[in-house]
This record gives sequence, C-alpha cells and structure tokens, in this order.
Amino acid sequence: MSPLPFWRSRSVRRIAVQTAFIAILVAGLGLAIVTAHINLAAQNMTSGFAFLTKSTAWEMNFALLPVSRDDPYWWFMLMGVLNTLFMGVIGLSGATAIGLVVGLMRSGRNPAARLLGTIYIEVFRNLPLIVQLYFWYAVATSLPGPRQALQAHGFLASSRGIYTPGLGVSYGAAVQMLTALAVGGLAAVWFVTAQRFRKVERPARRAGLWAILGVTLATCILAAVLGHEPGTLWITTPELAGLSIKGGVRIQPEILSLALAIMLYGGAYVGEIVRGGFKAVGRGQIEAARALGLTNWQVFARVRMPLAFRAMLPILINQYVWLIKATTLGIAVGFSDFFMVIATSITHSGQTLELIGILMAGFLCINFTLAAVLNRLNRAIALKGNLVGVAT
Amino acid sequence: MQVNAPAIEIRDLNKFYGTFQALKGISLTVKKGEKVVVCGPSGSGKSTMIRCINQLEEHDSGDIRVFGTLLNDNVASIDEIRREVGMVFQHFNLFPHMTVLENCTLAPILVRKSSRADAEARARHFLEKVRIPDQADKFPGQLSGGQQQRVAIARALCMQPEILLFDEPTSALDPEMIAEVLDVMTTLASDGMTMVCVTHEMGFARKVADRVIFMDKGEIVEEADPETFFTQPVNDRTRLFLSQILGH
Amino acid sequence: MTAQPYLSNRRLQRIRAEYFGSAGSGLLTLISLGLIIGIGWAVLNWALLRGSFTATATQAECMAKGGACWSVIAVRWRVILFGIYPYEEQWRSAIACAVVVVMTILSCLPVMWRFWRLAAVWGLGTAAFYILMRGGYFGLIPVDEQQWGGLALTLFLFVTTSVLGMPMAIGLALMRRSDLPVIARVTGIIIDTIRSLPLLSILFAFAIVLPFVLPDALTGDKLYRVIWGGALFFAAYEAEILRGGFQGISKGQEEAAKALGLPYWHRISRIVLPQAFRLALPATINQIVITFMETSLVVVVGFVELLAAGNTAYQTGEWKFAYVEVYAFISLIYFSFVFGLSRYGAYLESRMNAGQRKE
Repeated sequence: MSPLPFWRSRSVRRIAVQTAFIAILVAGLGLAIVTAHINLAAQNMTSGFAFLTKSTAWEMNFALLPVSRDDPYWWFMLMGVLNTLFMGVIGLSGATAIGLVVGLMRSGRNPAARLLGTIYIEVFRNLPLIVQLYFWYAVATSLPGPRQALQAHGFLASSRGIYTPGLGVSYGAAVQMLTALAVGGLAAVWFVTAQRFRKVERPARRAGLWAILGVTLATCILAAVLGHEPGTLWITTPELAGLSIKGGVRIQPEILSLALAIMLYGGAYVGEIVRGGFKAVGRGQIEAARALGLTNWQVFARVRMPLAFRAMLPILINQYVWLIKATTLGIAVGFSDFFMVIATSITHSGQTLELIGILMAGFLCINFTLAAVLNRLNRAIALKGNLVGVAT
Repeated sequence: MQVNAPAIEIRDLNKFYGTFQALKGISLTVKKGEKVVVCGPSGSGKSTMIRCINQLEEHDSGDIRVFGTLLNDNVASIDEIRREVGMVFQHFNLFPHMTVLENCTLAPILVRKSSRADAEARARHFLEKVRIPDQADKFPGQLSGGQQQRVAIARALCMQPEILLFDEPTSALDPEMIAEVLDVMTTLASDGMTMVCVTHEMGFARKVADRVIFMDKGEIVEEADPETFFTQPVNDRTRLFLSQILGH
Repeated sequence: MTAQPYLSNRRLQRIRAEYFGSAGSGLLTLISLGLIIGIGWAVLNWALLRGSFTATATQAECMAKGGACWSVIAVRWRVILFGIYPYEEQWRSAIACAVVVVMTILSCLPVMWRFWRLAAVWGLGTAAFYILMRGGYFGLIPVDEQQWGGLALTLFLFVTTSVLGMPMAIGLALMRRSDLPVIARVTGIIIDTIRSLPLLSILFAFAIVLPFVLPDALTGDKLYRVIWGGALFFAAYEAEILRGGFQGISKGQEEAAKALGLPYWHRISRIVLPQAFRLALPATINQIVITFMETSLVVVVGFVELLAAGNTAYQTGEWKFAYVEVYAFISLIYFSFVFGLSRYGAYLESRMNAGQRKE
C-alpha cells in the first residue's frame, strides 16, 4: 500500500484549516495595527493610554458626581459608565414594571384588559426605539419656557425639564443614599442566590433579609440626617425665581425622554415575555392546584407565578442586555452616557483605537456581569431534575 | 475495493469516550453474503462497533477493512466505504422535508451521479421491494413507523451497497409493525445481501443469521452459529442475557 | 320557547362573566374601556375631525381648528420620502422603494421558499434598486450615494444589511458548530463579543474608526462601511438563531446523510440548512423586523434616512410646531412595514405549531 499523500490526510487537513483560520485573523488584526501606527505617525501622535490622565477641556451636561472641564479623561469615562448604569437601572426597572402589568393584562381573562394590553404592545413594540426617543425629546423640549412652566401639585414642567419635589438634603447625601440602596439591593440578591445560604432554615434566611434591609434603610436615614441643613425644610418644592426655577429635583429633557422611551419600548417587549412565561405553565399544573382546593389567588401566587417566572427568566436576561445597550441612544439627544463620552473623547483626543478598546471592554464588562448575575439567579431557582408535565 | 477480500475485517478495535473504554480490542470478520446478528445488553458497545464501520464514530486504534480498503486518515477511504456500506437506524432518520421518493433519490443523484430518471426508476423498484410502491409522493411524517423504516431500508438500498448495517431497526416500532420490517429484512437476506444487524429479535436471528455474536462491556463474549448459540451457550453472561430476553 | 332567546341569554351571561365576573374585574373593564375609548377618541378628534388637510393651511389656521396640521406632510412629503435626491429624478427613488416592497411580499410566499428563487429575487431586486438609484446605466443620470435619503435610503440600508448579513450568518453559524475546536471556539467568542456590543458603537466604529485602521484601498464609501457594520451585527444575532435551529434537528439526520455517503457541503445544503431555516423562521422574521427598525440608528452617524429626513422636515422654518404630525407620518410608515411583517411571522409560527401537532 502506497503511503498516504499529506493533502489526503484527515488530521493534516484539520490542522491546516485551523492554522489558516488563525493566521487570517492575526493577519487582519496586524494589518489594522500597522495601518493605525502609520496614520498616527503621519499626524505626529503617539499611541498609548497617557491621555487618560490629561484634562478634557470639555463639559459633561449630566453626571452623578461633580465633574468639570479640568477633570481627566478617566474620570469622565467613569462618570459615563455611571450614567449608563444609572439609565440602565431606571430603564430596566421601569420596563419590568410596565411589562409585568401589560403581560398580566394580556394573560388575564378580562377581554377589555387584554385588548388594552394588546394595543399597547403593538404600538410601542413596532416603532423604532430611536423614533420614540426623538418624539419624546421633541415633546419635552416643546413644553413652555420656565416662566410659563406648567404647574401642578408641586411639580413643574418646562422646556428645561420636569421639576419634582425633593428631599432637603445635600447632593452628597443623596449620592450616599443611592449608593446604599444599590449596595443593599445587590447584597440581597447575593444573599438569596448564594448556595451556602440556601441551606439555612427559612426563618433564619428571612431574618438575614430583614437585617440587610434594616442596615440599608438605617444608612439612608443617617446620610439624610447628616446631609440635612438644620432650619431648612425637609421637602423642597420647585418654584419660579426670576428667569429660572429653584428647588426640587430637576429631570432634564434628555434623561426624561431617554428613560421614557426605554421604559415604554422595553415594557412592550417584557410584556410579551411575561405573557409567554404564563403561557408556558402547563394547564395540568393549574388544574392540579385547583383540585387541591387552592383559591384563585393562591393558584396564581404559589403555582402560576413561580413557574412562569422560571420560564421567562432566560429570555428576560437577553432582553435586559439589549436594553442596557439601548442606553447608547442617549447620544442622539445628548445624554452623556459611556458611549457618548467615548465618542466625544475620540473627536477631542484622536486616540481612536485606545478609546474603542475601552468602549468594547466597558460594554463587555457591563453585559457579562449583568448576564452572570442573572444567570446565577436563574440557576438558583431552576427546577431540579427532569419533571414530567410542568411545561406544556 | 478487492472482490475476493472479506466484506468486513476488524482487527483489535479500541474506542474511548474520554476515559471510558467503549470497545476493548474487538476483532471480527464478516464474509461476503454472510448475515451476522449482534446482540447484548444496552451499553455493551454493539452500536458503537457497527457505527465505527462507516465511521459515524471515529475509532482510536485498530484496523477496519471493508473489501480490503483500510479505513484510515485518508479522507477518500471514508467516502469510498460509505458508498459501499448502507445503514438503517433505530429512529429511521428519514429526511422530513423531502418526499419518500426524494429521500431515495437524493444520494444516488448527488453521490453516484445517476441521472434523475435512473435514480427514480431504481427508487420505485426498491420501494416495491419493501412493499410500499404507492407512497412515493408522501412525506415521511404521513407514514406509520413500520412504513417509515421500510422506506429507510429502500433508501439505503438505492445506493446499491454491498453491505447493510442495521442498528436496532425494530426497537422504536410498535409491536404490530415489527413483523413487516423483519419480513423485508428476511427477503433481503435471502437475496444474498451481506448484513450486520444489531437487534434483540431472537426469532429473526434464529431464522436468518449465519452467526450470532454476543457483546458485553465492550467485548465480544460469545460467537456461534444460531443453533449452538441458543441451545448451548458457553459463557455465563450469555446465559444470563438469554434467560432475561427469552425468559418470559 | 325558541332557541334564540336562550342563546342570546347564554351569550349575555358569558359576557357578564368575562367582563364583570367580580368587582375587581368590573373595575378593570371600566378602566380599560375608558382608556381605549378616551385615547381613541382623542386621537381621532385630533387627527381627522379637527385636522387641517389643505396644503396651504398656516399655523394660525391649524391652531384655530385645534387639530393636526397635515399641511406639513403635504408640503414636505418629498423631503421625508426622498431626502435631497434631485427633484426631477425622484420618480426613480419611488420605483426603487416599490421594488423593495414587491421583493418583501414575494419572499413571504411559500412558493418562493427555494434557495435559488429567494437568492434570485433578492439578488435581482437589489441590483434593480441600485441601478435605479445610482443611475449611470440605461440613460439614467448618475446620482451620488451622498444624495440618497429618506425612505429610499432606509430601504436600501435594510435590504443590503439583510442580503450581506444572511450569508455571513450562515457562515458564522456553521463555523460555530464545526468539529474543529479552534474554529468553533474562536467563532463563538467573536459572535458573543459582537452581540454584547451596542449596534450604535459598531456603526460608529465602522463609520469613523475603520478608515483609520484600514489601508485606503480597502476603506470604501462611508455608507457601505456602515452597511457592513450593520450586516456583521445582524449576522451575529442571526447566527445564534440558526444555531437554535441546528439544535432542533436530531443528530440522526446528519448521521443518515453521512451513512448515505453525502459529502459535507451536500449534508449542510440539502439536509441541515433547509430544516434549520424552517425551525428558525419565526425568530428570523423577528430579527429582520428588528433590523428594519434599527436602520434608523444611522441617523447618529450622519445619514439622512427616513427618521433624519423627518427631523429636517419639521425643524426648518415655519413647521417647528408640527413635529407630532411628522413623527406620526414616519411612524405610520415604520409601523405598517414592521407590523405587517411581525403579524406574518406570528401567522407562520402558529401554522408551524399546528403542523407539528398533526404529525
């Protein structure tokens, strides 16, 4: 038998194809890096991350912590990430709340409520998010000027934003309270899902949750008391003072329109996911619960809801990642999210490759973390083993 | 392909899944025209063995020769052997998006380069042979399990293979449909087809097989003509298996 | 006693049980119906009953009627649909849009669901669209891509993104399920990375960053760079949808094809892909719908597609007050396309489910 020519050999072919694949990828990447270096040299610029510590010399129109044109790039980016997370939290919670209501309306037995839910979902899901965003921004900026601001129950609405009553505490205290709430929420999720606490008895677990809640609330109250200036009111309401509005909390049109758009659009999608979750609960499960004599509410709270939640969570995870990414639309109306900070930095500093790298790394981190946390929750509540008759 | 070589020649075949050894030094020779029935408890490696013959599973060491052609690293050798070896599966594996006729003509047209007319004529011939000539334009989903398995046999025959491998062809069938498939297989056997059947149908084995092979834990434990195998099994494991399968 | 009163009595009872089964349900009915009727009436009143439909109505006249001022559409519809495409040539833009609509409708007919038929429809359709828009052949005056705009540009982005993205998606999906571990893993990482990035950042990178890292010969026009970026993003999502389709096919299918001696490419093209596409069809239509909506993101990197054209239509001059009318108009265009396609997808899905139950 003649020896096998190498191009006929399966194992040689396998290695060759994979090597060629890697080689093409590396060559493409190499070409990009070399070209970038040539272009940089032509513009007399250096690559590297030294620019991160230089001051930016431009302004950010919204940030949770103090920021000025003298601050370095890295601080701006951090503020951008915070803004993205801030908008993400608002958008996700709003979308979830709306989606829950709409989804329940759509899976209920009342035809009028079903119709209303259907109309809502079809309208908001079938229009591009950015069209909705532009529309709400146009609405927000077309409100009358500050001097003719619309007023109702301590709220003011003007083209400069919506003003709501606020707590009479310093800005720093407000930030501390928000941080405490965020940390407390994360701690609660961790506590509920962590394997080692799942073995703890039910009363002890409940006590643990109360403890987390208590500490969080105590921290908030402490921060509020320390940040409150004695002699001033605890609740401040916005009031017209000359040409501008003083007091209260201002919600800028950019934030208002972006949050509204993400909530309404995301709510429609979440609503469909919620409905799908309820649809996935087997009829047999509900019949079994009824046969045991559970009331309608008990059937819903103890059987339908827990099973539906498990069915919808994996799809919700994808939707949440999508919604976080949707906050980048803020650039269309001028909300300084992470993406907008990066885009502005590119025009001002020219450090294109580095900044795109940071952008990618940032979003990978945010989304992988979100997905990891939610997947952990998913695993923690997943039904164990193979069950017959749970899903349809 | 050498005509006078044994149809299948397996020497010292080993196959691992991770650290689990599924086949332990199997050696087996099947002559042209011979009918071999392979039986054994589940997980004994019998399916794995016949799936190695047409390389649905890659073996780790040992030689497999089909009509003298060695199955090795050569990409061409696999193609050549698959053309000569047909296979019938437990779950039929008909292509659900094609009609019965398309199922039967696909490979002859694409692999054998037959003309469509030739392929269709041959397909109708073999469909007649498996006794379902009038179902050619239906889709597999519209047929009963027994009919589907007979289509699968016709599909394999359309490639005009020298050898047919059967991987538990009746295990997924309702009891009343088993006979119709076994009848077709018996007819094939009497036509002189070389067959290797993994099956627990002991009646079929007794009637058709030239040789019965019993496998357990990746080894060939016993190998005998049907008469000896069923009346005077040598090995304890074989006896246990036979008592379990024939016991009631 | 006749059957009629008995029947209507039953119907009444059922209606009462559904709408007013309990106090809570009754309240829900009242609130829901109130909202539907209230909002519906307000929209009807604003848009039709009090709307001004004459092309010459001014802001004051519209205000006096108290409803929508559709005059803005009458005056500005050409800008919204065709952008700054040369006025005398806008009929070409209109025909090009019609070509896309016909192409989409054709693809929805089950008769067309053969690979070559679909490829022919989309290939010829795209070519016809391009020749009509770009000109230079058959005595048509050349019109540079930079002058394309409005609905025509939206449709061009949509069609090219899907036409380029679909083969890329198939390639990525096949690579991800490859037996070769290096290719499968690396492709997996690439797909997951693209999927976790915002589309906007990819469009931005392709529009603005790519010229910086590619030799000039490979750079190409900004429009086409953005299209490639969009196609890549579409491909990453669609590849995962197809992977779901692959997973829905039993392993035996490919084994049977192997046992028959079919080589890799035939196994994929005749056995695996047709079945995977069928399984992935509802999700694919959904993805195509999303892709259509996402074409509007290019407004951020400076293209005047439907949305941006709408913005310019009301932001200039005397129509600043009429933004609701303009957004309503472009929303109606987006909605009719997206709603139509997604209804069609839902219909297909229910048909497929019914078919499965029969088997």
